[in-house]
Amino acid sequence: MTSTNTVADETPATAAGSVSGAEIRLDGVTKRYPGQREPAVGELSLTIPAGEIVMFVGPSGCGKTTSLKMINRLIEPTSGSITIDGEDIRKQSADDLRRQIGYVIQGGSLFPHMTVGRNIALVPRLLGWDRAETRQRVDDLLDLVGLDPDAYRDRYPRELSGGQQQRVGVARGLAADPPVILMDEPFGAVDPITRQRLQDELLAIQRELHKTIVCVTHDIDEAIKLGDRILILKEHAEIAQYDTPDAILAAPADEFVEDFVGSGAALKQLSLSRVTDVELSRRTTARVGELTSEVILRAQENGDNAVVILDERNRAVAWRFLRQLRRHEKVVGGDRESLVTVDQRATLNDALDTMLVSGHGGAIVCGDRDRYLGVIDFHAVTDFIEQVGEA
Amino acid sequence: MTSATQIEAEVEAEVEVARPRARRINGEGIVELLALPVLVVIVFLGYLWWRDSAHLDAIESSSLNWAAVRVQTWQHIRLTLVSAAIVVWVAVPLGIALTRRGLRRAAPVVVAVANAGQAAPSIGLIVLLFIWLPSWSGFWVSVLALTLYGVLPVLRNTITGLQGVDPDLVEAARGIGMSAPSTLRRVELPLALPVIMSGVRTSLVLIVGTATLATFVGGGGLGETLNTGITLFRFSVMVSAALLVALLALVVEWFGRVLELVLRPRGI
Amino acid sequence: MWDFVRDRRAEIFYDAWQHTYLVVLAVVAATVVAVAIAVIVTRIPRLAAPANALSAIGLTIPALALVGLLLPVLALGSTLAFVAVAFYAVMPVLRNAVVGLQGVDATLLESARGMGMGELATLARIRIPLAWPVILAGVRTSTQMSMGIAAIASYALGPGLGGFIFTGLAQNGGKNAMNYALVGTIGIVVMALILDGLLLALGRATISKGVR
Repeated sequence: MTSTNTVADETPATAAGSVSGAEIRLDGVTKRYPGQREPAVGELSLTIPAGEIVMFVGPSGCGKTTSLKMINRLIEPTSGSITIDGEDIRKQSADDLRRQIGYVIQGGSLFPHMTVGRNIALVPRLLGWDRAETRQRVDDLLDLVGLDPDAYRDRYPRELSGGQQQRVGVARGLAADPPVILMDEPFGAVDPITRQRLQDELLAIQRELHKTIVCVTHDIDEAIKLGDRILILKEHAEIAQYDTPDAILAAPADEFVEDFVGSGAALKQLSLSRVTDVELSRRTTARVGELTSEVILRAQENGDNAVVILDERNRAVAWRFLRQLRRHEKVVGGDRESLVTVDQRATLNDALDTMLVSGHGGAIVCGDRDRYLGVIDFHAVTDFIEQVGEA
Repeated sequence: MTSATQIEAEVEAEVEVARPRARRINGEGIVELLALPVLVVIVFLGYLWWRDSAHLDAIESSSLNWAAVRVQTWQHIRLTLVSAAIVVWVAVPLGIALTRRGLRRAAPVVVAVANAGQAAPSIGLIVLLFIWLPSWSGFWVSVLALTLYGVLPVLRNTITGLQGVDPDLVEAARGIGMSAPSTLRRVELPLALPVIMSGVRTSLVLIVGTATLATFVGGGGLGETLNTGITLFRFSVMVSAALLVALLALVVEWFGRVLELVLRPRGI
Repeated sequence: MWDFVRDRRAEIFYDAWQHTYLVVLAVVAATVVAVAIAVIVTRIPRLAAPANALSAIGLTIPALALVGLLLPVLALGSTLAFVAVAFYAVMPVLRNAVVGLQGVDATLLESARGMGMGELATLARIRIPLAWPVILAGVRTSTQMSMGIAAIASYALGPGLGGFIFTGLAQNGGKNAMNYALVGTIGIVVMALILDGLLLALGRATISKGVR
């Protein structure tokens, strides 16, 4: 399967570079189980553009997971066809097909008896990559999902927290660089703060890679945040609406969609606006190892009562008040994992949530590979909302 | 701001919590594990000391002479190992087959039949086979009986073990493109191994104990000295043999536990 | 074989009855002992590990060896058989009783105490009834095992169908050797299955519907 280089118009996801995803087309796909009168999935037809994230949402039992699993033939359709990049998926064996599609499910489903490194290396090894290539790839991926390769490569899944396991699950899905990735409730099994982080991580990764991602979720807010397009399904996988999040919120197709999206569409607009829509403020920064006295002087000149601490790669590792800094002669590092930050593509919703937790009346904003970009203020957000309201 | 800092602290704690490194066995476990062999060695040395200092009559000394005991111990071990090997060779593939899609329905029936068979007394089984197969040597008749007896724990545990593997993991394996045989070999079997090994351990203990009966059909083993002691009514011989058999059984059981530990995949 | 059975009908029934009677008696005694030990062990958790260890060791000792160890102390005959069978019968019941009693939800026990139930009442009315299904499973295993061990004990002149088996062995080559051994073995299997069925029925009758 070759990866396409078409740049689709309108959707922001593809603006930043070449697409490595492939287009998926479903044509009249039906799944009937023996002994049941109604089909689980009834004549589903849609096109998933290359390089986009499409979220499948709907009430329990509507057939979204069944539809997802038909794309990698874990479930075989009763009728209809599915093509990826123009090729019918039935042409090759199911095993071969699946090695070219990333598959990430809830909890990560890591094999407990293999180390993190071996888990990720599975598909590349199945495809015959040599050891050196694979090892490099594993390290790259661990870095991409925000885990230090040297620290995590040889650990076992049970030594990791839920959020870390899920990240490894995503890394495993990306391992063989597939053009298509399928995800089934990937962030359901973790707490809200970790879930937000993981969602941000996915957006950052997609900015770099532009894969075609099909993701099943029951959470409409997650769908609005992550999706370039959202597919809202009714019973038997009947399409209620298939459009961009903007369009769905502005013009829901029928009562079902309205109900599903929920009231407070105005507040949902918070979920549409991204952190980058708002101007970020610059705060005093310091590097690990600098003399505290100098840093404090700088901060006082700027009128800041706290300093953002960066490491050698310009990633934020801590956000300390001046009185905390004074305890040490030189600036000390911090644990990146425990610092709450928000991704540049995150929604204003997430930004407000993060601000509540950070304790500073603002939130640190990160870009690609966790690089520090600035701080988003509460005032900036409220000003923005007022402006939008007046528009 | 207390709630915010509380949440931050919790997040920090969750991340920094020392999730224990995946080790097979920790310090205490090793002490527990070594307790048994140490005990066995002490008792055995005690026995040797008694043997040297006791006054045995002609019959007793001839029954308990070291050459004979050594030969019988070796026979006993041979019986156990050969039977155990055949049991694993038969029961594990059978268990695997009974958990695959085709034969899944047959599984409860087969297990029920095996269960009923377990009700047969071991002595009855050995004697019946002996009478029924006069052309077979005592050794092989015993092996046959021991194998039949030892199959059930391994079969049952193989089935339970494989059925106990999280179906999500199997789906994940197939989902990323592993073939069915590959999934069995690299995911299902390693994860089912602890339960299977537990069954093998039970089977080993069952076999080594039942092997004492091999003497009745000419299969050798430490049961012979025991039998001699009983028929000749010499207490010292009886007790000696009983003690040695018990010690051997404990060693085999311990060996099974070590094997179980060594073969358990790390990370489970 | 059927002529053989018909001719010796009285003897077979008698031996079968003796065999079963011995086992039932031994298992009942063993159950009482095992449950008592288990209750003590759950009171003093530190004893749990040694109790399990001893139980495992006990089960590892081959039956014939135990017979050999008991002979110097007890004479040939039914007493020895009883002790041997009872010894092994304790183990499975003990293991299950410990697991069963420890498995009783601690919050339930706390409620009982909160209601004013004394130790003995809690034990009798809550802990044992809740642990009973697990204990009964242990008793079933124990019974099956004991049927086989009683057969071995016949070697030391214990009562029961084991005698038929050993007679068959002694007469190997003779006309009726196979018959003796078969009758002995099948008789034991039949009695074991009957006892198992009775225990299952006992379970149905005594385990409250809410717990099943």
